[in-house]
Amino acid sequence: MTRHSIPANLAALSSIRQLVTQACQEAGLSEAASYRLTLAVDEIATNIITHGYQEHGATGDIAITIERTDHHLTVILEDTGVAYDPREQGMPTADDLDKPLSDREIGGLGVFLALQGVDRFDYQRRNAVNRNTLEVDLP
Amino acid sequence: MTFSTSVEMKGREAWITLEGELDAAVAGEFRQAIEEIAPQKPEKLVLFTSKLQFMASAGLRVLVFAKQQMGREVSIYVVGASGPVLNTLLLSGFDQSVYLQESYP
Repeated sequence: MTRHSIPANLAALSSIRQLVTQACQEAGLSEAASYRLTLAVDEIATNIITHGYQEHGATGDIAITIERTDHHLTVILEDTGVAYDPREQGMPTADDLDKPLSDREIGGLGVFLALQGVDRFDYQRRNAVNRNTLEVDLP
Repeated sequence: MTFSTSVEMKGREAWITLEGELDAAVAGEFRQAIEEIAPQKPEKLVLFTSKLQFMASAGLRVLVFAKQQMGREVSIYVVGASGPVLNTLLLSGFDQSVYLQESYP
């Protein structure tokens, strides 16, 4: 298990991606699966930074914990921003995804891509801490 | 890996080359490139993406912005997208509105 604390600003996203990509490589995930998990974590971290902290004029950190078992690779993001369950945000429906770009709402795709990229996702808030868990099965 | 854009007009076509990792931190640079070139009323927007290694939804939102800013009659081409970037475009249904090509013209 590794645990890192990263400042909750958008410039730190590349560092978060590096941590996840490295863990994926060490776990033997394919490049495609590694990219999907890295994208998923990037999208959830972006939401935490933007909606959990920046929109409220707050600053803080994101604690990123990466755990690996024989069967799973799990990335846990913890933050102390405002409560924000990504699953409660409006996600595009199949009809939305078929719409031409000129008729699209700008937004909603990040969480969609995140949930598509993992085998399990969970959000909990306890003791004023948001905990987003993203997990993929290992080959 | 940093992100960079380069922009040029080729006749009535706006060519933008995207390189590096396009995330929420740098999407504003891509959006700015669109804003700079939109007043020239291009008929086509051609995005060269073979060196784009990562694209988050922030990049997709700029594509939506480009279509809405330039007008629905402007065709958007995404050229040379790598497997993962291409997969993101397909998952998001952007292949309905954007021409995905391996090379251009």
